[in-house]
Amino acid sequence: MSAVETPTAGDRRRGAWRWLAHQQTRFPLLQLVVLAGAYVYGTATLPGLSSWLSIKTILILGSLACLVSVGQTMLILMGGFDLSVAGFTVLGTMVLVLPGTWHVSFGVSVLIIVAFAAFVGGIAGWICHRLDLSPLIVTLGTGGIALGVAQVIVGSFAFANGTGAPVWLEGLTSPVTKSFGVSIPPVVVITVVVTALMAVFLHRTVVGRRLLATGANRGAADLSLVKTRRIWTGSFAFSAVMSALFGVVLAGYSGSVDLSIGDPYLFLSVTAVFVGGTVFGGPGDYTRTVVGALFLEVLSTVLIGHGVGAAAQQILYGVILLLAVTAYGRGARLRDRI
Amino acid sequence: MPESATERRGEVLGRTRRLFVRYSFAFALMLAIALLIANLVKTPNFGWTFELASLAPLALAAMASTPSIISGGGGFDLSISPLMALVNIVFVFYLAPHGLGGVLGVIIVLVLGALVGTVNGLLIILARVPPIVATLATYFILIGIDLQIASSPRELQGSTWISHLAGTVWHIPGALFTIPVPLLIWFLLSRIPYRSMLYAVGSNDATSFASGVNVARVRVAAYALGGLFAAIGGLALTGLVNSAAGTTASSYTLVAIASVALGGTSLWGGRGGLFGSLIGAITIYLLQTLLSSFQVSSSWLEVVYGIALLVAVCFGGLVTRRRVAPA
Repeated sequence: MSAVETPTAGDRRRGAWRWLAHQQTRFPLLQLVVLAGAYVYGTATLPGLSSWLSIKTILILGSLACLVSVGQTMLILMGGFDLSVAGFTVLGTMVLVLPGTWHVSFGVSVLIIVAFAAFVGGIAGWICHRLDLSPLIVTLGTGGIALGVAQVIVGSFAFANGTGAPVWLEGLTSPVTKSFGVSIPPVVVITVVVTALMAVFLHRTVVGRRLLATGANRGAADLSLVKTRRIWTGSFAFSAVMSALFGVVLAGYSGSVDLSIGDPYLFLSVTAVFVGGTVFGGPGDYTRTVVGALFLEVLSTVLIGHGVGAAAQQILYGVILLLAVTAYGRGARLRDRI
Repeated sequence: MPESATERRGEVLGRTRRLFVRYSFAFALMLAIALLIANLVKTPNFGWTFELASLAPLALAAMASTPSIISGGGGFDLSISPLMALVNIVFVFYLAPHGLGGVLGVIIVLVLGALVGTVNGLLIILARVPPIVATLATYFILIGIDLQIASSPRELQGSTWISHLAGTVWHIPGALFTIPVPLLIWFLLSRIPYRSMLYAVGSNDATSFASGVNVARVRVAAYALGGLFAAIGGLALTGLVNSAAGTTASSYTLVAIASVALGGTSLWGGRGGLFGSLIGAITIYLLQTLLSSFQVSSSWLEVVYGIALLVAVCFGGLVTRRRVAPA
């Protein structure tokens, strides 16, 4: 009848564009495309990159980046932030030292560390919620405590009695280990399982939905009878425990004790979350973080392969972070908030 | 009519609380004085000149982080420490060897600092991204630049006056020429409307906007001010270490924020001040020197420091708890 009902080519293009943008808000499409692009570019220019061994190596690095971001993703979704990742990671690597100093078995040392992390992390969440303090500064304090405890443990440790990482722990992150007879490193399998669990937990369980509600609007969640203080306490404890467990895995990967080993992982966890497209208080998802982490690791592998130095890599990380957060994390205009 | 004892006690408590609310750095100040006394008892020949000089970069980093935090909206500036390193590196690698180690060089680095701060502010205002993420991005970028320029450390050459900033200038400790500069600028800013606007914006940006305050301009200026103070910190750092290296670019990032929090500045914005951050930095510094003078407990440093930070912010949170608005 009229021109309104027969869409022009321009309208259709705009419609397709809007459809893509809509899909992007549901799923990290763009990140996947860039990830694939980075990998294809890498295999085209670097001959060895398509071999199964180097794919496994990238997957191991990517899995480490994913595992360190579990707690961070959850806290950012909830409207928090975790600066204690580095401290608790270092504390987790103390599983290499504890059996020699306190004469306990490996399993018991993991238990001790996890219990401590849960306790201190829980206190951090509780304090933040109760006294309305910034999670940044409180987790800075608890991270300092965790790192300090690690230092105390190392300080009292006679290195001669040191037991290295158990063979199975080293095997978790080794490219030659098989899991269930398949030539995939166990840490990759663990990451896949964690990703599935997190997806189910965040979107399909009551606690997960409450957590997302708390992030979206704490006041509204309170009024809907969500016990937000419990949510805060629980997720900070969870984040600290996940950092500590990541430290255990990292201990197997690095095989030695180093008090500054956690530092690069702190900002890596934050970058992975934001590049994936999760923003403070949601919306977001752990799956997004996994895509973001994989992208960062593929990118840095390709860059290192091309001989790009650490300096240029840092600059690129900054630019990518800025682009990602500009695309997703834009707040409301001030004049719209009145 | 005689008052009851409980009433009197309640009144004293209320007055004490008001005192702590009015002077949010009071807790840190008491801690700092106690630590100073402990330090003086432990090491009677406390070298003031040297101690002040090694305090200066931390103190300036803390003060540089303060304006953006006061401006609210979670205004953490993570890029302060790499910016200080950048100033240090630019001075040692480019300015001093080319005969620009004098007044002109100082002006150049101050402008550089303010410029980087302005870029931070503009990113936050124009892209409307959370400050902590925006400054994390500039943190990465600045560290990259630092590493690019100063991949290997270099000694300072062609400028001798700057080491006096860590020594003495005619019997006066050189640090007294760097640390008070931000305080002076801060004081001068209280003579113009800017500082009250900054606090207004930090307390409630929407209300300030509705009252006609140019919130964007005030916030950008706060970041620029932080950058300027960081440049002064970079000069103090140069005087202290007399060299430049890209690998230490991030060393003041977190401890500066800790100093600000310890000094009673609210991390939600709108409360606190530069003087508090200075006191906070002094407290952390004195804690470090005291603990390292008891050699055995050097590994306990982080634990004590973490607990002290938690206790201080909890205390501040208890005293100045935001009152819940009546429904």
